[in-house]
Amino acid sequence: MGSTATGEARLAPLRERLRHAWQVPLAVLLFCAYVAYLTTTFERVPKALVQGVQPADFPLLLIGVILLLTAVLVWQLIHNPDPPRSRLPATFFVTVGLFLAFAGIAAWVDLFAGFAVFAVGLSLAWGERRLVPILAIAVVLPLAIFLLFDLVLEIRFPRGVLTSLYYD
Amino acid sequence: MLEGALAGLAALLDPKLLALIFAATIGGVIIGALPGLGATTGAAILLPFTVTMEPIPAIALLATIYCAATYAGAITAILINTPGTTAAAATCIDGYPLAQRGEAGRALGMATVSSTMGGMFSVLVLAVAAPALAQLAYKFGPPEYFALALFGLSMLASISSGGAIKNLIAGTFGVLLATVGMDLMTGVERFTFGMPELTEGIHFIPVLIGMFALSELLVQSTRMNMIMERIAMKAVQLPSRADYLRTWKTILRSCGIGTFIGVLPAEGATVASMIGYNEAKRWSKNKAEFGKGAIEGVAGAEAANNAATGGAMVPTLALGIPGSATTAVILGGLLVHGLRPGPHLFNEQPEFVFAIFGTMFVANVMFFGLGLMGAKLFARVTLIPNAFLWPMVFMLAVVGTYALDQSIMDVWIMLGCGVLGFVMRRFGFSVVPVAIGLILGELVETTFKQSMVMFDNNAWLFFTRPIADIFFLLTVAGLCAPLIMDRLARRWRSGGPEEGQGRS
Repeated sequence: MGSTATGEARLAPLRERLRHAWQVPLAVLLFCAYVAYLTTTFERVPKALVQGVQPADFPLLLIGVILLLTAVLVWQLIHNPDPPRSRLPATFFVTVGLFLAFAGIAAWVDLFAGFAVFAVGLSLAWGERRLVPILAIAVVLPLAIFLLFDLVLEIRFPRGVLTSLYYD
Repeated sequence: MLEGALAGLAALLDPKLLALIFAATIGGVIIGALPGLGATTGAAILLPFTVTMEPIPAIALLATIYCAATYAGAITAILINTPGTTAAAATCIDGYPLAQRGEAGRALGMATVSSTMGGMFSVLVLAVAAPALAQLAYKFGPPEYFALALFGLSMLASISSGGAIKNLIAGTFGVLLATVGMDLMTGVERFTFGMPELTEGIHFIPVLIGMFALSELLVQSTRMNMIMERIAMKAVQLPSRADYLRTWKTILRSCGIGTFIGVLPAEGATVASMIGYNEAKRWSKNKAEFGKGAIEGVAGAEAANNAATGGAMVPTLALGIPGSATTAVILGGLLVHGLRPGPHLFNEQPEFVFAIFGTMFVANVMFFGLGLMGAKLFARVTLIPNAFLWPMVFMLAVVGTYALDQSIMDVWIMLGCGVLGFVMRRFGFSVVPVAIGLILGELVETTFKQSMVMFDNNAWLFFTRPIADIFFLLTVAGLCAPLIMDRLARRWRSGGPEEGQGRS
């Protein structure tokens, strides 16, 4: 019983390291498995044309290299674990939410409306409360960028609710 | 070549180009002084804006941003103990303690002088070494380029951030990203998911901007409660005679170290500054002062990091292999303007190449003057609230990405890479290897396939090529370098040679 308790005590740190060592390798493994599956969907080219190297061969070689390195990484993480990560604050999740909101508004409403929402949202989320500078960043800056790119660099932006007012 | 060189240097007499270099120097100093931005991010965001410019002004702008931003990281490193760029991380160690005891002006003056000397030294080396290396590249065929690209990827193991294995995984992932699109040899589409926008592959600029700028934006969102203590400063002081006598050997040594490290593919100013700092400490007679405000610490780090800028341009211009993350962006700028780095560039457009050499030299002179006169003013950019700065960066990033090909798909790729870059950084992976892997990926695959065709699918024949063998050996050395550096670092930490004992 005593030797079991001692063995348990020795195994506890190893278990703790194993607990944290699997996340990254598992994610890499799943990614590699998915990519390897995708390579099976590539067209195969007749041997006479391809001269030995099929389109899937090089990506598969890279997957093999990544898997080999990941095996070494597992060993490394067990013996030299990563430092613990702090919890992500709410501002991070709000910022990611703003990325998604921007993407949605830019795709379905207007790119520059997306900028305005992002700028206002980010400024407020990051603690800024002065309304005038926030509005300046949200309205004046996108307008300045639009005019600079349209008039000087002659870039046409995607048509949206706001840009159509200018282009039409 | 001589005529081209003179034509290139004569281009610098154009007032518009000089004005552009001046404006870019100011921009570079501001970018470099702002923690979280940095030369790579700044250059990546500005690259799309240079697409409509002529090649010389476009690349001059990017090169100037590189030189100026690398220097300017020292400003915030010294005044608020937060490096404006990763290349100034080593400068914090002794720069901030100097500022704390009221010698911020002295520290900044030394940083300015050392950076300028490092930068100028490396540009002179660049002007000599790059053409010579480019001529050597005439002997390179696909096997040599494959081996060289492999060497470039192996050097990712020893860049400072992330562990060696994680860096190599990230670099290999970057190479894998480069396989997206149509395979040039067979015409087969790979990883396009039926989207025509992906047929030409993933452009590296959205990936770069996402991985550097947007991931940093997400990192900043996790640091809202960080308070930076800012040290007040009266004026920047030129080093005294005593300081020059104390640091001249350190500066010279760091110039050499930085230039050499910069020439190595994928290394760059960050690695150079750390090695420069370590060597300054190792050779110093006042080791005990290091960490508490040793002026040699500032000199060693700053001379090395700016020396790396010219060094990193050597393989970039001569071989098309980026010497650092920022030169990877500059390489992208060259490709966007239809310029293929290598011997043909030096032979057919020497005026372009020498104009860039001249630009970098002038940029060093300009940031010397601006740094001495305006470092205190530039430090005030850190007063811009993040809540205003980062929305501006976001808008410029999105618009710049879109402007490349006027494709909204690039914007989605950039956003996705921003989130991916943050996740990678959170789990200890560096994003620099992904960028370099993506840029080198097409070269690696194409030259590998061409070589296999040449060798009739007998890969052993790679070893019959002497130049390729040299690069293969360097690849092995590059992969072993982290182990060697780790052992050396442990040896230094355990004390190294005692003071008073001579070196054999």
